[in-house]
Amino acid sequence: MNRDTMASSNGKPAVRTVDLWKIYPQEPEPVEAVKSLDLEIGPGEFVAMAGPSGSGKTTLLNVIGGLTRPSRGEVWVGGVEIGSLKDKDLARIRLEHIGFVFQAFNLLPVLSALENAEFPLLLRGVPAEERHARVMELFEEIGLEGLEDRRPGRLSGGQQQRVAVARAVVGEPALVLADEPTANLDTATGNALLDVMERLNHERGTTFLFSTHDPRVMERAHRLVRLVDGEIENDERR
Amino acid sequence: MRSWILVRLALRNVSREARRAVLTCSAMALGLALLVFSRALADGGHEDWIDAGVRMGQGHIVVQAPGHLESGSIDDRLSAEQVDAIMRAIVDVPRKDGPPSTTTRLSVTGLASSATSALPVRIEGVNPETETEFSFFPGKLVEGRYLEADDRLAAFVGTGLVERLGLRLGSRFVVTAQATNGEIEGQLVRVVGIFRTGLDEADEGMVHIPIGTARSWLGAGGATSVGMLLEHSLEVEEILGGLQDRLQDPGIRVMSWSEASPELYAAVKVDDYGDYIFHAILFGIIALAVLNSVLMSVLYRKREFGVLQALGLSARQTGAVVFLEGVLLTAFAGVVGVIFGLAITWGFFADGLDFSFALEGEFDFAGIVLDPVIVPEFRWVQLVQSAWSIGLVGVLASIYPAVHAMHLDVAESMKFER
Repeated sequence: MNRDTMASSNGKPAVRTVDLWKIYPQEPEPVEAVKSLDLEIGPGEFVAMAGPSGSGKTTLLNVIGGLTRPSRGEVWVGGVEIGSLKDKDLARIRLEHIGFVFQAFNLLPVLSALENAEFPLLLRGVPAEERHARVMELFEEIGLEGLEDRRPGRLSGGQQQRVAVARAVVGEPALVLADEPTANLDTATGNALLDVMERLNHERGTTFLFSTHDPRVMERAHRLVRLVDGEIENDERR
Repeated sequence: MRSWILVRLALRNVSREARRAVLTCSAMALGLALLVFSRALADGGHEDWIDAGVRMGQGHIVVQAPGHLESGSIDDRLSAEQVDAIMRAIVDVPRKDGPPSTTTRLSVTGLASSATSALPVRIEGVNPETETEFSFFPGKLVEGRYLEADDRLAAFVGTGLVERLGLRLGSRFVVTAQATNGEIEGQLVRVVGIFRTGLDEADEGMVHIPIGTARSWLGAGGATSVGMLLEHSLEVEEILGGLQDRLQDPGIRVMSWSEASPELYAAVKVDDYGDYIFHAILFGIIALAVLNSVLMSVLYRKREFGVLQALGLSARQTGAVVFLEGVLLTAFAGVVGVIFGLAITWGFFADGLDFSFALEGEFDFAGIVLDPVIVPEFRWVQLVQSAWSIGLVGVLASIYPAVHAMHLDVAESMKFER
């Protein structure tokens, strides 16, 4: 797996799943979190996945993000079937082609806002000067200028989530997966964050896939996929 | 990904938990310091034992006729020509500090008797001039003087023998032993000096007489042994090899102190094994400290490791970061521990540790009288071995947490609440 392979995937769906299953072996019965799911998301789409708790939204995001492996079926990201990749190749896909935004922000507590945001670039071996410049440009864009040196503990929830978004997009991934990104934010902060992500989607063509309960996210999504019991109940394009 | 990034991450993780790192490093450093100190003390103690043992015995290297060690018989002795050849070989073996101290003895087991009593004794015919700097006994003089070059019928005896035979300085008594002609021969000698070692076996059972007197009394030329006294027992192997190469005569047996004094050698070895057990316990404590610290940090940071992997670190790289954390902790602790160990060993105890407070009377062990003050001995090889051993323990103890981190379920660990 290499960057060229992914680069050559231009024009292909950003995400495609084929008869995708995720089954957790549990007593007394295995839990089928995702059932025979077929989904295709095009490049540059701004998609929300909604559904009740336990409907399989987070599991599906984890499978698409390569954080967990499917039990059966295929999952393609940018033209690469990632379900059968080796760990190190999967890690490379995550590093270079996927950005994550988590409900609980998940910033690294000992790093400053700037260091958190530049972390994926650090892992890629991007020189410090370039890392700094790219993060500062993003921070300016999403209203974090002046907060570069603050540790997560000294940032508000909204600021932390914006740092998390900056971290997710700084490497210009083709796909950003966001698991309930506004769940811990107040209305104004949540709206501001959605503005940021919508603008990045519009300006950079980054594909966004959200899992959410938040009606604001559902309203602003260009496409809304409803999951129930691990299956697609409804797939609505706007 | 460049490996320095992993090192940097590990370094940052270690420094972020300063208290944990300091506590872990302190435990390890203290363990290493104790190890350095205890090994220096053990080496110093063993060298004291060996030095005392060879001075009470026959030297670091002993040359005898084959069979004498087992028989103790005067019939198994070196001829005068063999003694000359041995002395030439000793001078011929290259040694930094020049030829070592040597002494030639004619020893026999016999009986010491006075008008009142008789006791079995070891009678050593010695050369007074060389014996003074070689042997332990002249230094234990309590009355009179040691033998002198022109003495003929003089005897140097212990306080125990004096008491048991009812002797005093100037008293005469008879030593009796089997001569080379097979007859039991007696020799009248006079007490010129009395020693006290504190060891009953020596104080009652050792008599020094001039070697010339012993030769004429027993009708025996040559010697039963030629001993060499070296600066340090570490010299033995090299000098022994050199002597063995030069003395190919089958009538000559060259031995190290460990062969000539198997009891002393066994005592040193037994003490060594005791030290090994102590060191193994220390290593165990250190390993547990590292294991506990690094493993706890892994369990505590499950979510963080999940995030790192979500951001692009592979499982192997995550394990490497954890492993490096353990290695870095070990390295810091190693440096601090060596410095601390050297400081406590030579800063506080350079003049030795005096154990006389715990002893009553003389301190004897394995048939030798020991100095209650043990002076630590510095050996680079021990220091390097200690540091390596601690490093190895730290590295091994870091493997399990690293493997644990490698096998984290990323999606599950993201749910982990700290």
